[in-house]
Amino acid sequence: MEFQSCFDIIGPIMVGPSSSHTAGAVSIGTFTHELLGGWQPEKVRITLYDSFAQTYQGHGTDKAFIGGLLGMKTNDTGIKDALTMAEENEIDYRFSLEQGACPYYDHPNTSIIVAKNGRRDVKVGGASLGGGLAKIFLINDVETSIRLSTDDDLRSICNRLPMYMFTHKEREA
Amino acid sequence: MMTFDSMKELLTYCDTYQKSIAEAMMDMEMEKTGQIRDDIFQKMKDRLIKMQEAVDAGKSDASTAPSGISGGDAVKMGAYMESGEALSGNLIPRAMRYAMATSECNARMGVIVATPTAGSAGVLPGILFALRDRDQFSLDALTQGLFTASALGYIIANRSFISGAAGGCQAEVGSATAMAAGVIVELKGGTPQQAVHATAMAMKSLLGLVCDPVGGLVEVPCIKRNVIGTSIAFSSADMALAGIESRIPCDEVIETMYRVGSEMPRTLRETSLGGLATTPTGEEIKRTLHN
Repeated sequence: MEFQSCFDIIGPIMVGPSSSHTAGAVSIGTFTHELLGGWQPEKVRITLYDSFAQTYQGHGTDKAFIGGLLGMKTNDTGIKDALTMAEENEIDYRFSLEQGACPYYDHPNTSIIVAKNGRRDVKVGGASLGGGLAKIFLINDVETSIRLSTDDDLRSICNRLPMYMFTHKEREA
Repeated sequence: MMTFDSMKELLTYCDTYQKSIAEAMMDMEMEKTGQIRDDIFQKMKDRLIKMQEAVDAGKSDASTAPSGISGGDAVKMGAYMESGEALSGNLIPRAMRYAMATSECNARMGVIVATPTAGSAGVLPGILFALRDRDQFSLDALTQGLFTASALGYIIANRSFISGAAGGCQAEVGSATAMAAGVIVELKGGTPQQAVHATAMAMKSLLGLVCDPVGGLVEVPCIKRNVIGTSIAFSSADMALAGIESRIPCDEVIETMYRVGSEMPRTLRETSLGGLATTPTGEEIKRTLHN
């Protein structure tokens, strides 16, 4: 039962064009932003698998991930301009595409984000389940299962994560 | 914890407590979240208002999407509708126009409400605001309709899928149209049983529909599938309100959608590696976009 609320079906309020390839991607990006302590990454590498890899430009998936990493929410009309904004902020970002399935999680819309800034260095595996719902299945090589709906307070979810998911240095940060 | 695992369970609840599907969903949401009814209702109404804003923005916007392959058709549909010459009367062309307005807004990266997904966001606002124009439904009545839609979609999403990448377009426009059919029945005073029959009939007519977006964009054929979804929703609702039943129970239709989607090749599940995406014209559009 991944869908738990009437608002998982009617919603999110979001910028188009795709709830799984845009909104879900924003949520995974925003989650990573919060995991980085609520700061933008300085450097980020995003691997997209399967259906994510095939249609990512058409659905604005690149803008969505970067918008999320900049701290934007799914209904932020600034997502359109996220790539320009990332370049202005001198964020070193790169996408790589894997046509096959993700080795960590069985779903056609999966991604692995490796991001760092001066404070933290994180790896996040996220799947976009459809209708704007996402799932975090990996944090820093620890398997997990965190369901993200666009109404969730991602900062408080990150603040409640168990400490063993982070390195010693990150716990200090 | 109260939940609805199947249409059968939902209908049993409605029957036992003499409630509409919309009321049943609000009961579930209140129990699950501990929030009061007014807060949940207002949150849904806020989404309806966003849907209305997308329709209003899209219906008179003749601009194209950034891709250049869609846009301006809601304006054409509006002019045709107002000519009074539309073959399918006043209601369906109106729903088509509003669905097109929403899906075109989505393609322009405008703000929309996913119902249940962004790719299928046109169908519900299409039928809701067309019914509003015809029967003067209040925003509160239409908000009730969104609760009906969410209950039907909730069961579909948990028993099958609502994303094109997982199950093809039958899972997106198919689910949205099935939800819309049930909403029309409930808004027009049909019983929960009739609403679920309408849902089943609408979904049956879209089983097997593949997800084959040209150039990977949610535009061709997605926008027009949303538009046509509204007429299937009205036809299914009319059958249900006439007392016609789906021979196959709705839960079995949903299970079928799941099986068909699972057997669907990957090329036809939102990868743009088959279907209309790989026609000569589709390939040509893709080449132009990526240059």
